[in-house]
Amino acid sequence: MKDPTGEYASGHRGQGRIGSTLSKLRSWAAPVTILLGIVVLWELGVQVWDIPKWQLPSPSEIGQELASSRSLLLEHMLVTLEEIVLGFIAALASGLVLATAIAYSRILERSVYPIVIASQTVPIIAIAPLLLIWVGYGIAPKVIVVALICFYPIAVNTVDGLKAVDPDMVNMMKTLGASRWQVFTKLQMPTAMPYMFSGIKVGISVSVIAAVIGEWVGASAGLGYLITYSQPLFLTARVFAAIVVLSAMGISLFVLASVVERMMLPWYYTEKRANSIERM
Amino acid sequence: MASDAGITSKIRVESLNKSFNVDGRRELVLDDIQLTVGEGEFVSIIGPSGCGKSTLLNIVAGLDSPDSGTVTFEGSPGVSALGRVGYMQQKDLLLPWRTVLDNAILGLELHGMPRRQARTRALELTEFFGLKGYESQYPYALSGGMKQRAAFLRTMLMDQEIVLLDEPFGALDALTRVQMQEWLLQLWDSLRKTIVLITHDMDEAILLSDRVYVLTHRPGRVTMVLDVDLPRPRSYEQVTEPSFARLKSRLLEPLREQKPKEAQGLAGKEGL
Repeated sequence: MKDPTGEYASGHRGQGRIGSTLSKLRSWAAPVTILLGIVVLWELGVQVWDIPKWQLPSPSEIGQELASSRSLLLEHMLVTLEEIVLGFIAALASGLVLATAIAYSRILERSVYPIVIASQTVPIIAIAPLLLIWVGYGIAPKVIVVALICFYPIAVNTVDGLKAVDPDMVNMMKTLGASRWQVFTKLQMPTAMPYMFSGIKVGISVSVIAAVIGEWVGASAGLGYLITYSQPLFLTARVFAAIVVLSAMGISLFVLASVVERMMLPWYYTEKRANSIERM
Repeated sequence: MASDAGITSKIRVESLNKSFNVDGRRELVLDDIQLTVGEGEFVSIIGPSGCGKSTLLNIVAGLDSPDSGTVTFEGSPGVSALGRVGYMQQKDLLLPWRTVLDNAILGLELHGMPRRQARTRALELTEFFGLKGYESQYPYALSGGMKQRAAFLRTMLMDQEIVLLDEPFGALDALTRVQMQEWLLQLWDSLRKTIVLITHDMDEAILLSDRVYVLTHRPGRVTMVLDVDLPRPRSYEQVTEPSFARLKSRLLEPLREQKPKEAQGLAGKEGL
């Protein structure tokens, strides 16, 4: 899994406030330019070759579709969002509980942990139809698919974090008279936090995909359902509009997770910034 | 040992043995260690790396247990030292998510003191520990010497009568180390704690201590106990005085004697 010290380090080149804002802008400039370039080429290509709308709508047509069917998109977005939120909360809760249990029990680490890791090779997309048989067509199978997919990165990263504790730190706590519980709450949990957030960010990025998979298998609402419903009708612009909304959701959720992380771990980011300036 | 007479002993280590499994073999690390530290005394343990100094201190601190022998505190044997003896290591071991002040009060907090009250107590001492103005900084912003003083403050706030120091200045540069040694002299003069210091710096051992124990290379055995009768209060200038040099040359003897044995492993890497 991702080492929590690896990310973001390059984002903090500048020294002052203005410097860092400028460098942040510069780091955004390249991807935004590339994206805009693709959109422009797409728009021109569709017009030059006169591609029919049902085959490939132009970005402007997708924009029009976003505007005209915004209430429809909003309605389905809320359904998908609900599936994601519920599934994510379930994954977070179960992931943290299992990670704690694994970090504390050698027996569980030897018996359950390998199964957790091996379970990643099972294609969730193949399990989704079975869920319909077991729990029906409601919201439950989608929530379960989201939870199954988000669970893994959260649990595995948190296990890594809980085990990343410096044994000398544990000894230091003991000589200060710390109980086992205090070692856990005041040392292990804070140590594991950056790792846990790495897992959360990976999990939340894939949660959107998970919800769409859950809806494709069988649903009566949600953006994934809207896509499968619109495609046979050749409402291609609507398919694209749904995709745009899904991407926006994914990005927003990731940004939200990052903001929460920064608020909860202020020390972690200032420390990293200090290190990256020192390294230059 | 001669100097113990008349002083109540705070720590008494008797016939202590400890061995570890090294590559499947049982290797003796500490061999029949006898050690006594009186109340308010400053005692150093010096020896080559790998002589088991840190193992000895871990056992005294209650983090490890001996194979045989006893460690007695204030006359009551078999009581665990954990949480009753201050212990500081070479690494500052400050928690990166806590500010300097909150790192300092960690021990008080673990013992159930409300944070506000603990902070007030710590704030009274930050000036003496050279941390004034840095209370709300995170550890990464501090210099090596300041981090070590913050760790000292955390240890000292527990107000334990016995403090064990495992090469607390080992990771600092030479200049900062001297400053910290003089600072520790002051600290000890004002608080009069019972201190056991591990070091491999002879100047440090002589300058700070009332008594120096010399350990041999593996297995660690006490080969010499040197009483340091230099007048107090001491300062770093004394390092250049003849009386200091005499003590140093006496300390050098047992350490030099071990060289041939050690040199076998080093294959002539260094000559003394």
